[in-house]
Amino acid sequence: MTGPALRARIGSFTFHGDTVPVLRDIELAPAAGTLTAVLGGSGSGKTTLGKLLGGWLQAGPGGSLSGGLELGPTRLLFRGGPDDPRINPAAWSGRVAYVPQDAATMLSTVRSTVAEELAFGLENRGVPREDMRREVARTAALTGLTALLDRDPATLSGGELRRLALGCAVITGPEVLVLDEPLASLDSGGAVLIQDLVRELLGAGTAVVLLSQTADGLARAASHWIVLDRGVATAGGPPEELEGSSELEQAGVVLPDRPGAGEGTGRAVRRSGSGTPGAPVLELHSLAYGYGHARKPSAVPREQVLRDLELAVHAGEIVAVTGANGAGKSTLLRHVNGLLRPGAGEVRVCGRNIAGSPTGLVAASVGLLFQHPREQLFERTVLREVSFGLRGLFGTDAADRAQAALAAVGLSGFADAHPGELPSSAQRLLALATVLAREPAVLALDEPTVGLDRHGLELLRRAVEATAERGAAVVMVTHDLGYARATAHRVLELSGGRLREA
Amino acid sequence: MRARLHPLTALTGAACTAVVTTAAASWVFSVAVTLAVAVLAARAGVARQVLPAAAVILAPLCVSLLVLHGLFFPEGQTALASWGPARVTAEGLRFALELATRTAACVLALLLFSFTVSVPDLVSALAERKLPPQFVFVLASTLALLPAIAGRLVRIRQAQEARGLVLRGGLLSRLGAVRLQMVPLVLGLIEDAGSRAQALDARGFGGGAPRTSYREVPDPPAQRWFRAAALLAAAGAVVIRLALSWPPGVQP
Repeated sequence: MTGPALRARIGSFTFHGDTVPVLRDIELAPAAGTLTAVLGGSGSGKTTLGKLLGGWLQAGPGGSLSGGLELGPTRLLFRGGPDDPRINPAAWSGRVAYVPQDAATMLSTVRSTVAEELAFGLENRGVPREDMRREVARTAALTGLTALLDRDPATLSGGELRRLALGCAVITGPEVLVLDEPLASLDSGGAVLIQDLVRELLGAGTAVVLLSQTADGLARAASHWIVLDRGVATAGGPPEELEGSSELEQAGVVLPDRPGAGEGTGRAVRRSGSGTPGAPVLELHSLAYGYGHARKPSAVPREQVLRDLELAVHAGEIVAVTGANGAGKSTLLRHVNGLLRPGAGEVRVCGRNIAGSPTGLVAASVGLLFQHPREQLFERTVLREVSFGLRGLFGTDAADRAQAALAAVGLSGFADAHPGELPSSAQRLLALATVLAREPAVLALDEPTVGLDRHGLELLRRAVEATAERGAAVVMVTHDLGYARATAHRVLELSGGRLREA
Repeated sequence: MRARLHPLTALTGAACTAVVTTAAASWVFSVAVTLAVAVLAARAGVARQVLPAAAVILAPLCVSLLVLHGLFFPEGQTALASWGPARVTAEGLRFALELATRTAACVLALLLFSFTVSVPDLVSALAERKLPPQFVFVLASTLALLPAIAGRLVRIRQAQEARGLVLRGGLLSRLGAVRLQMVPLVLGLIEDAGSRAQALDARGFGGGAPRTSYREVPDPPAQRWFRAAALLAAAGAVVIRLALSWPPGVQP
């Protein structure tokens, strides 16, 4: 085995204006062709570490670093002072590439096809066109994007986008690749593609660093684990040694195979559920939807996503809908509060057909957690966010409801923070709080588990249980079959536009 | 759509049309150009976008021209009506008509260009001509900004509707909604720009190294000739205009 491709020693890293370092006492020395997993819960500093390693966040302009980075013969020593060396992000990231959790951030947004987006990093480095063609073809084959080279990046699915971001990172042939939650929100098919890709890169000699809050299959393939807890590396070693350690537990890392680890415990509200169904709170009858309906009702829809779909959810019942990426799960959920209107069929909430009611009115009875929390959050502070629209529902009680909802998701201490500055799991919990605060009769959750650590999953489980117990109907869509089975009374699969028992 | 116009050909065409129309200074010519551009827009299938956009720009302009020159035109001789200091003169109206039709022709030509040009083609054509990449990027983002803003506004509106914002047709309600959506829109765009900047840096953008371009934009010789001819015609039109309007007795 050769020596480490990169050696990073982070004594401390502090953002400008902060007094407490976000990272402390971390050592990382991934060797060529090996997989290193940095595991930690929400807010543990994984993303900051990844951006620091990949040159997205630079010591000096980005914050104060004391420590050292060694990349081949390059040795950089940082003391947190003005004389520290400066990293040239363009040169550095060609050798240590970072792929963010939100793959869309990686894209230039000014390139009109997948091929051009892949080539962007090469164009900037002055690579001749013929070489670019070859590299684009090679990277596309590696990432499974060959059939999509002429597509507009804006039209890609989540899994395809993740592979494109990965392709953009590896096209320059970096020695070290840092992947931030590469499997988040992917279905099993999409996850397998990424895992295969990582295996190929490892085989080609790339040192891969995985940042994850789940000890999933990919993390288990790592030869070395580092546990990160509130910015400090609390443990490090081979997975066999660390599995079941108190440090891992403490850090809030999700352990998928372990019962009772927070991912639903099988003891969900089965007691109050499907035994005595009253009138359904949410009913979908003969629902059909195809993209293209909205603008030209007369036109034949290009793609029928939902057809003749039937669903009834009763008070106190939790129903989970699973299905592959692109099966139409989010489309289905957006019909529940009227953000999408069916091409045929009807949606009934509390017995009333919502056709003709604006979404804003339906929202009094239906709370929808969006798939991407950042799209649900638009206010300046966490408290303003959760308070939006509550006054109309609860009058003078609104402030108390907002505080209670924040407490329910463990965000009371962040009332004045900017939602955009929260870690992505806290953003999801905040989005959940905005929905819970409204006490809707129907709670609709789109991929609620994505990005949540063990503590977050526990908070989610409690919130879902409490909502069902107070008599609301809960319908969630998730690609996580294990979570669905553990939490829901009924698990349905969406496939071919229809629902059937899974 | 095999034989596409090179973006610089379209740009030259639009710009030269504007210059020639201005130099011609004849409302008949301006109206003819306006109609021709409208026909071209219809044939390109973008009339539905170009004409309303032109109306939004031109309507207030025409009204102000009419008020300004129609009512107050010091050189006006033929008064058609007068109210105190305000006089409607035939000359004033004619001048307003000249300006309005000329502006209409220019606006329409440039709008037709901006609605038909392929932004990626334009960006790579400019990049190939060694323009600074930052300038090209800003231009490309600006051209892509309107659709991006529209998409983001839809998402913000949906998020707000999902939490009880009721949008009704009334003007006040709409204005209220716009106020609610503007702050998140601007803050979101700024936040986006921050994270985008990190990604662009990491992908070598702004690294100062010489750049290459992946996209190939064919530039057939015929189009190069057309551009040269159009530029000559525009220059000729300006020279003729200057010569014609030079005060008599003064040799240029």
